[in-house]
Amino acid sequence: MAADIALVGRSAAQRGGAGSIGDVVFRALTFLFALLVLLILGGVIVALVEGALPALRTFGLAFLFSDIWNPVTEKFGALAPIYGTLVTSAIAMLVGIPVAFGVAVFITEICPIWLKRPLATMIELLAAIPSIIYGIWGLFVFAPFVQQYIQPSLIASLGQIPGFGALFAGPPLGIGVLTAGFILAIMVLPFISSIMRDVFETVPAILKESAYGLGATRSEVVRQVVLPYTRIGVVGGIMLGLGRALGETMAVTFVIGNAHRISVSILQPGTTISASLANEFTEAVGDLYLSSLIALGFILFVITFIVLAIAKLMLLRLQQRAGG
Amino acid sequence: MSIYTRRRIANGLVTSLSIGATAFGLLWLVLVLWTLLENGIAAITPALFSQMTPPPGSAGGLLNAIFGSVVMTLIATLVGTPTGILAGTFLAEYSRGSRFGEAVRFINDILLSAPSIIVGLFVYEVMVVRMGHFSAWAGSMALAIIVIPVVVRTTEDMLTLVPNALREAAAALGSPKWKVIVMVSYRAAIQGMVTGVMLAVARIAGETAPLLFTALNNQFWSTNLNAPMANLPVVIFQFAMSPYADWQVLAWGGALLITLTVLCLNIGARALASWGTFKQ
Amino acid sequence: MSPPQATGRLVMPLVPSDPDVREPEMMPSQKAVIRNVDFYYGNFRALKNISLPLHDKRVTAFIGPSGCGKSTLLRILNRIYELYPGQRATGEVLVDGENILTPGLDLNLLRAKIGMVFQKPTPFPMSIYDNIAFGIRLYERLTRSELDDRVEAALRRAALWDEVKDKLRQSGLGLSGGQQQRLCIARAVAVEPEILLLDEPASALDPLSTQRIEELIAELKDDYCIAIVTHNMQQAARSSDYTAFMYLGDLIEFDETERIFTHPKQKQTEDYITGRFG
Repeated sequence: MAADIALVGRSAAQRGGAGSIGDVVFRALTFLFALLVLLILGGVIVALVEGALPALRTFGLAFLFSDIWNPVTEKFGALAPIYGTLVTSAIAMLVGIPVAFGVAVFITEICPIWLKRPLATMIELLAAIPSIIYGIWGLFVFAPFVQQYIQPSLIASLGQIPGFGALFAGPPLGIGVLTAGFILAIMVLPFISSIMRDVFETVPAILKESAYGLGATRSEVVRQVVLPYTRIGVVGGIMLGLGRALGETMAVTFVIGNAHRISVSILQPGTTISASLANEFTEAVGDLYLSSLIALGFILFVITFIVLAIAKLMLLRLQQRAGG
Repeated sequence: MSIYTRRRIANGLVTSLSIGATAFGLLWLVLVLWTLLENGIAAITPALFSQMTPPPGSAGGLLNAIFGSVVMTLIATLVGTPTGILAGTFLAEYSRGSRFGEAVRFINDILLSAPSIIVGLFVYEVMVVRMGHFSAWAGSMALAIIVIPVVVRTTEDMLTLVPNALREAAAALGSPKWKVIVMVSYRAAIQGMVTGVMLAVARIAGETAPLLFTALNNQFWSTNLNAPMANLPVVIFQFAMSPYADWQVLAWGGALLITLTVLCLNIGARALASWGTFKQ
Repeated sequence: MSPPQATGRLVMPLVPSDPDVREPEMMPSQKAVIRNVDFYYGNFRALKNISLPLHDKRVTAFIGPSGCGKSTLLRILNRIYELYPGQRATGEVLVDGENILTPGLDLNLLRAKIGMVFQKPTPFPMSIYDNIAFGIRLYERLTRSELDDRVEAALRRAALWDEVKDKLRQSGLGLSGGQQQRLCIARAVAVEPEILLLDEPASALDPLSTQRIEELIAELKDDYCIAIVTHNMQQAARSSDYTAFMYLGDLIEFDETERIFTHPKQKQTEDYITGRFG
């Protein structure tokens, strides 16, 4: 009975027994697995650097700026994949951000209450669809569509503008940088939209009500109250979407055309880092080829790490401001 | 035009653009799902589930690929879930405010959004190269590394939601901390934690990139975890990119299977999450 | 059930409480003594030099306006504040002569001896049976039938047995607020503590449930030393034997309840009791 338990002066073996040992063991266990998370990241960095070293040593910094990719002569340069990664992501952002913003505004400000949940769920299903599904759909359905309708009209309209028109030059192939960028846009818009929505919801209702109470229109409340309040979070959400777009593999691999070259026209095929890896890794012969591919992976890792870290910091700051 | 009219036009513009954007987003969802159904339904035959992946030009099924995917997803879940739960427990229960905890949380969120092909590269370097060959083990580990950050995040979030009053009540009875966590906190958070696992499984069910250079692929039926193993995503990749019609049909079929699984898991997870709130 | 072996000193007398042998009313024994206790939240000194006794088989009530430190004081008695970094207590709290503020003390054993019921009912997410059995299972290895008996005894003590005896396997969360709180009381007495700490146990409940809880406390005091924090003065006046009035971290007055409410010595006490502030 508890009455009989003296508290001080029990020998250590009798005192608490299973309790204190259990506490020590459990805490150590959870600590170890938490440490594992850090170790995984460390391991990724080490493994990538180790694998990339031969290529980086052979080519030096020129690796980043050369667009030669010749497995036969064993001359490799990362410029084409890097360029493709950046351009497809840029297109994804250009198309995706406004759409995501529109969706977020609709769901938080315009949509009737009963529709909010199902609508939000449906938009999030866009994010749940695996990349490879977008890839196969892109290849068989979307690319032909782009080839038949979108690209010819772009060539006929924007392609005629002197100078700027060079962006839309070339035969309509369907596959290419533009198609890949567009599919990426569809894939990242639910992420950006979801964060924007969460961030818009943190705006205190009384703030918006005060604006409405003064007779402001909805667009004015959004532009002048909601957006300034959530600026940091919105940017953080955008950066998160960018991080995703940069690393997307399968959807891009199917529709980008896998050509290691840089073209001015976004209607042409190209390649991205992840698409190069997906296509060539298992067939790469020769240590230098393999190492160059891993070096590409390392570059992608660095880029996405920086983008994601910035995104996280911004979202953390917004969280602190909202009071955790 | 008066200022007021201008404002009304601007408002109307923003409103209609927002509605348009939402319709635009939904349009693609419907399109993708529709074409998936249209093209994939032709492949849904009993043969899909009873025959192996065929050589080009002949008919077959996806049995070995389905099996491989199920096995590797299972192993990845069995490995990644306890790891993620324990790490998430540390973040929620032991590391309030500590720098180490913040670092783990930060890194975990980065891993959460990191390109999955990088994970594949990592496991390639660490397992495939060391072992000298591709294997289902390597594929499972790559998937496990994707599961872990998801489970860590949901576990930490769910445990943090457990009210402190509950912990105090258990401690006030003389319960050691680990029992408070395991017997009270976990029980209180179980709904959310299961949801997290379901979402993690939904995520890896469709992942291709991490399997590309770890488990590779296998034309034949294999139960050997120490060798390359067939799996749905890589098979779809190979078949869809090929010029053979019957391979492409199978690819659509596999795509439909994966999508149905992923959608069911997602919707199921959401249903579970909201059922919990009604029960309380 | 044999009691665990204790070392020579500081052992409680093993004589169980015999209802026919009552200690003389004039001389209730002091179960616990709080001596020169300060409490700090970080750098903020929330309790200033508190000293008072807690008598066995009596109810001691702590009253005072919000923020006076009465809950803080209660939480020192089972050192539940140790769950949170940055909170600390200095001074002595002697329970049966032993200072429980000693560092290195086994807190789990302490809390098995000093039970607590909180303001908001906190049933665990498990069956009613498991809720009660939780604390018992921590320290005792009982057979199934012994456990059943203990659970029933605890539920009877808390006047809850008749209402739940047919649904012991159902979740504790399905009970009403008043029932949940009685469940928590049953849970606390199931481990047979010596001191019961009640932190505003009825404040979250409706008047009928409150009344039942008060009746319960009147019964429980026969076996336990009870310390109760309440912001309901009538409750303190009705149910307690001793009352401590606190204000802004100081103990203003401590005396037998009857005297405090009829002839308070301090003006502040009188002001509070007559409703002039707080």
